[in-house]
Amino acid sequence: MSAAEPLLALRDLEIRYGTVAAVRGLSLEVRPGEIVGLIGPNGAGKTTTLHAVMGAVPHAGGEILLRGEPLRARSPEEVARAGVALVPEGRRVFPSFTVEENLRLGLAARRDGGTAAEALEEAYALFPMLGEFRRRPAGVLSGGQQQQLAIARGLVSAPALLLLDEPSLGLAPTVVDAVFGALADIRDRGVTVLLVEQRAQRTVAFADRTYVLANGELRATLGPADAAATDRLVAAYLA
Amino acid sequence: MRRTAPLVELGGPVLLLVAAGVVATLVSRSTQIYVLDAIVAAAMVAGIYVFIGNSGVLSFGQISFVAVGAFAAGVMTVPLALKGSILRDLFPILRDHELGNLQSLALAAAVGAVLAAVVGLPLMRLSGLAAGIATFAVLEITNNLLREWRAIGPGATTLSLVPQTTGPFQATAGAVLVVAVAYAYQRSRAGRMLRATREDAAAAQAAGIDVHRQRLWAFVLSGALCGFAGGLYVHMLGSISTGQVYLELTFLTLAMLVVGGLTSLWGAVVGALSVSALDSLLSEAERGLDVGVTLTLPTGTRLVVVGALMALVLVLRPSGLTGGRELRLRRVGA
Amino acid sequence: MTPLAVVDAQTLVDAVALGATYALMAVGIGLVFGVLRLVNFAYGQLVMAGAYTLAFTSHLHPAASIAACLAVVVALSTVLDLAVFRRLRSQSPAVMLVTTFALAFLLQSIALIVDVRDGTIGEPVRVLSGLNRAFTVGDLHVRQITLVTIALAAVTLALLALLLGRTTIGLHMRAAAADFRTARLLGVRSDRVIGFAVLLSAVIAVLVAVVLTVRRPLVTPAFGLGETIVVLVGVVVGGLDRLWTATLGAFAIGVATGVINGVLPTDKTVFLPSAVFALVILVLLLRPGGLFAPRGAASVERV
Repeated sequence: MSAAEPLLALRDLEIRYGTVAAVRGLSLEVRPGEIVGLIGPNGAGKTTTLHAVMGAVPHAGGEILLRGEPLRARSPEEVARAGVALVPEGRRVFPSFTVEENLRLGLAARRDGGTAAEALEEAYALFPMLGEFRRRPAGVLSGGQQQQLAIARGLVSAPALLLLDEPSLGLAPTVVDAVFGALADIRDRGVTVLLVEQRAQRTVAFADRTYVLANGELRATLGPADAAATDRLVAAYLA
Repeated sequence: MRRTAPLVELGGPVLLLVAAGVVATLVSRSTQIYVLDAIVAAAMVAGIYVFIGNSGVLSFGQISFVAVGAFAAGVMTVPLALKGSILRDLFPILRDHELGNLQSLALAAAVGAVLAAVVGLPLMRLSGLAAGIATFAVLEITNNLLREWRAIGPGATTLSLVPQTTGPFQATAGAVLVVAVAYAYQRSRAGRMLRATREDAAAAQAAGIDVHRQRLWAFVLSGALCGFAGGLYVHMLGSISTGQVYLELTFLTLAMLVVGGLTSLWGAVVGALSVSALDSLLSEAERGLDVGVTLTLPTGTRLVVVGALMALVLVLRPSGLTGGRELRLRRVGA
Repeated sequence: MTPLAVVDAQTLVDAVALGATYALMAVGIGLVFGVLRLVNFAYGQLVMAGAYTLAFTSHLHPAASIAACLAVVVALSTVLDLAVFRRLRSQSPAVMLVTTFALAFLLQSIALIVDVRDGTIGEPVRVLSGLNRAFTVGDLHVRQITLVTIALAAVTLALLALLLGRTTIGLHMRAAAADFRTARLLGVRSDRVIGFAVLLSAVIAVLVAVVLTVRRPLVTPAFGLGETIVVLVGVVVGGLDRLWTATLGAFAIGVATGVINGVLPTDKTVFLPSAVFALVILVLLLRPGGLFAPRGAASVERV
């Protein structure tokens, strides 16, 4: 697997907000089938990096390569339709739409319209709760349920690469367990994932490889073996 | 450097107006009316700017205050001897009294302020965009009442025989007064608070600024200045009808503000003078302008050009000619 | 006689037809507002352009005349969308509104130049003028166009509800209206939803042009301007944020206009605009969030 060409590669990525550099010289790779973590303190540039991949934030320098093709000046909808799904921070479900309508929105990125019903059934199989509430407005779901909906919405587009932005943010510990359980299911299906998280230790244990980001720069790369020592290592790298 | 900034920021617009006033004394009578028109327009636009420029909320209603100011000043200065015959249906208190020139201008400002306070109280509680659209209701009510209610004015006929006291001196002095008040307001604590709400309403609110109240203050002050400018206007024209202070004037004054730059007083004055100049040139051309050969543009060209200019500025350079900044002699600091 | 007794069925039918016309215009404006956050003040000038097209093609078969009207209005709104609206997307709603206000005057002045070439202002429209015939039911004299207007508005709004509620493009339009950024991240194509909203809005402008020219057959450059102002104010009364309450607001102001017109003594009907807009200000005093907003909803800066 490691021999395969990277699905996503960032090369010397530079992102600026006005004169402030949000991301500096960031290079990383995500290979097909991998789960890759991206951790770091608030303001490290994690979310900005995901938005740059999606084309929602322009990059000032470097390259973002999807299957070896540069993604420059692509709109978010083009990136989504090229097979990259973002599960955004704060979930961003449409509260007044039904659960099913939210999932159907995920289909917007699919080029093959024919498999819509199948895709929805698959999502309901993965998250039975969503099937139960399919006709209810998404706004009545709990935070954890909305997170599952947001992940399912990303999955129905059958993405080659799933970007997850802090899926455990603001959730109770038991719900976090459920979310990571769902991520394990997704990994088993062979979906490639780039996971941005604050929960460093869990991420390092879960991912094939985890990048540590601070002040917009890459500080370290950790593997699952480092999990037990994550806190100490991260503290050392950020010092 | 910093201490001279107010001098330049206020001095620039004032000098420009005084220069226009001097020009007005040097040109022929037929050209003078265009120059005076431009100066009075600058007073109106500066009055409108006090609300729109500082709050960032659009209003289509400010010409209402110009209208009531113009009719109040006009109706109250028509000589008593003539009033009984041409304005028979007026309320007795309006019919049987006559005001002097300055008193009538003060009345115009007061009437504008009162109307702005009455309608602003409900409207300024709305969100910015909704408030802007709702101000159309004010324009429509004002126009309808002035046009149909003969107890407060001439109704659908033209009000004439108003003393023409707005010559070069009164136009310039009046416009300078409006600009000075507008400048004093934007430097004041209230003005700075309102400008903070323009940049970020939510943050200003979080900092304890009452957005709606600050907007209301500016709306009332703008109403007073617009009413005053309306008084200058009627005394310049000597006659007025409701159609002259309605949609087209709303459009022209907004075009002036937009072309100059919505967010600065300098922009308001520059925009008013430059768009007025263009407008005057085009309306002459619609009547036939002698430029070697006689150039006659079809009626309506004037508004096509001004409308296109306004749309172009908004699409290509929304901050206007002045970039929405006050006048500076040199870039201060770095 | 109490004022209410004056509101007979006759007044009510006419009032509902006026409300229906306003509701159509509100939907046309609201669809574009949803996806672009742009209040199109120049919507009335789309109607005006359509009305002039009907006037200039009055000699043709009505179907051909209406087809020409459709072509002109769709072309004009596409040009406005591509040349102006999309370039304003990063601007504040206030700048967008004042730009469309400029466009309205621009288009109106162009119409004036075109119209006065024959030496007179105003062009007559004869398309479907047969619909002005009245029929009598009991005491009721109803012009056919009154019922056609009501039926047309009802059918159009029902079809639109189906489109928005049941189709994929409708879902995408609603998502774009609710949260455009997230919708795009999910793969909703912005050019497509905007283009579709502009197209639907233009088709509705054609319907309004046809209905209005039957009722008022002389087209002038200011055609549709007054209606736009009333509709926009009605939309604010209904609540700008939501398409259906905005439409209901415009409908309500139309019905209120008709009813107040019926209630006012004949010598006072000249004050109709004042009465209607004063009512609007009163409503906004009591319900700043809009007539149909949940009670107590604050008028926070949302747009």
